[in-house]
Amino acid sequence: MKKRGDIGIPFAWLFAIIVGGFILFLAVFISIKLIGTEQTTQDAKVGKEIGVLLNPLETGFESGKTTSLTIPTETRIYNKCDNKGNFGRQVIQISQKSFNKWSETNIDVGFSNKYLFSDKIVEGEKFYVFSKPFEFPFKVTDLIYITSSLKEYCFIDAPEDIEEEIEDLKQENVKLENCSDESVKVCFSGGTDCDINVRYNLGIVSKKEGNSYFIDDALMYAAIFGDAEIYECQVKRLMQRLEQLTILYRDKANFVSRTGCDSNINSELLQLNNMANSFDESSELATILNVVEDIEGKNDYAQCRIW
Amino acid sequence: MVKAQMKIQQMSFMLIAVTLFFVLVLMFFLVVKFSGLKESAQELNEKNALLLVTKLANSPEFSCEESFGKNKVNCVDGDKVLMLKENIAKYEDFWGVENIEIRKIYPKVENEIICTLSNYPNCNVLRIRENVSGFDASNFVTLCRKEGSEGESYDKCEVAKLMVSYG
Repeated sequence: MKKRGDIGIPFAWLFAIIVGGFILFLAVFISIKLIGTEQTTQDAKVGKEIGVLLNPLETGFESGKTTSLTIPTETRIYNKCDNKGNFGRQVIQISQKSFNKWSETNIDVGFSNKYLFSDKIVEGEKFYVFSKPFEFPFKVTDLIYITSSLKEYCFIDAPEDIEEEIEDLKQENVKLENCSDESVKVCFSGGTDCDINVRYNLGIVSKKEGNSYFIDDALMYAAIFGDAEIYECQVKRLMQRLEQLTILYRDKANFVSRTGCDSNINSELLQLNNMANSFDESSELATILNVVEDIEGKNDYAQCRIW
Repeated sequence: MVKAQMKIQQMSFMLIAVTLFFVLVLMFFLVVKFSGLKESAQELNEKNALLLVTKLANSPEFSCEESFGKNKVNCVDGDKVLMLKENIAKYEDFWGVENIEIRKIYPKVENEIICTLSNYPNCNVLRIRENVSGFDASNFVTLCRKEGSEGESYDKCEVAKLMVSYG
């Protein structure tokens, strides 16, 4: 005879089902977490690897270098820039596609000695990486430009030396002619169908987001290939590095003067140091350029060169 | 009643044993996985040092630029590196390596004399930071400096080894 409230399942079974279910839930939960951790680890590893592979792009006396980077899975490179501290930081975040879904990542891989110019998110499997030294007046660093093979750039009416440089680079996604309709049009002499306008003589690159100012070809490419916000942040980081380098050169100038090496550029270097220290945005570059040209001239004609 | 209680007790013990087994398997798996992670990090550090050492001499804090004549590749400016050593606190973790050292190899000096402001250039090791640890990767470079004689300055270059140590 059944008692009232008896559900007909022995207690031992009920107990086993509940605890067994809990264990299964725990196993599934831990597995999902582990897969997530594995993906995050993979993203961090790829981010670090990309950073390490950018080391050989440091140039000697070459004007520029290009290389490609192929990753077996579809990848998004998040380019972030931070200018806290003495040199700021280049931050890369990686997200990869698995099972048609982008991995979620908040792992930052940071480098103090790298300056990457790209869109905020670069997506694809093949990436073109090209670098160019930035000299102001001495070499400050190499600027690195990253573009995806999925995005094509078309340079229209570029000055002769820029055309020659692009031809020499042989970068498949940067073209001078036979451009597709989807390509990003970079116009050097205006036009209606342009995505980016470059006023080369004035040193201005205009995009939808606003104007970026440049003083040489290295920064011009940075403004073209880089997101406007990233460009401003990286230029500020460049000035932070310039500030520290002026200190090194000033100390060196003082130190080598004991050997009879007189350069006479200490006061100008101090002025450049102050300007780099108070630098705020790229529109100020033209003002600093006057001092830079002055220093460059003095160093070139000095009895003893400091750089 | 006692039999039923026994069965529940048996099952509880069994469940605890199964759970413990899975926990142990999980822990073993995590230990294996994280040791692999440590190895990967070590490999990446090694790769970073190897690639960095081939190009470090061309970075602005080390390179000769045109101070000792034109077109000098893999040339390290000793005077500038000594100034870098004096300002190294600002460059913490800048290159992502433990230490950077430039060791003169020719002309050979028997004893290791670390360069400081007071003994330079009568020394043979320019060490950026005090501590040296871990493994290292190296590359041959030209180490140049300004020398003076009778109030006149001249350039002096020697053969050296640029070493990057990583943890």
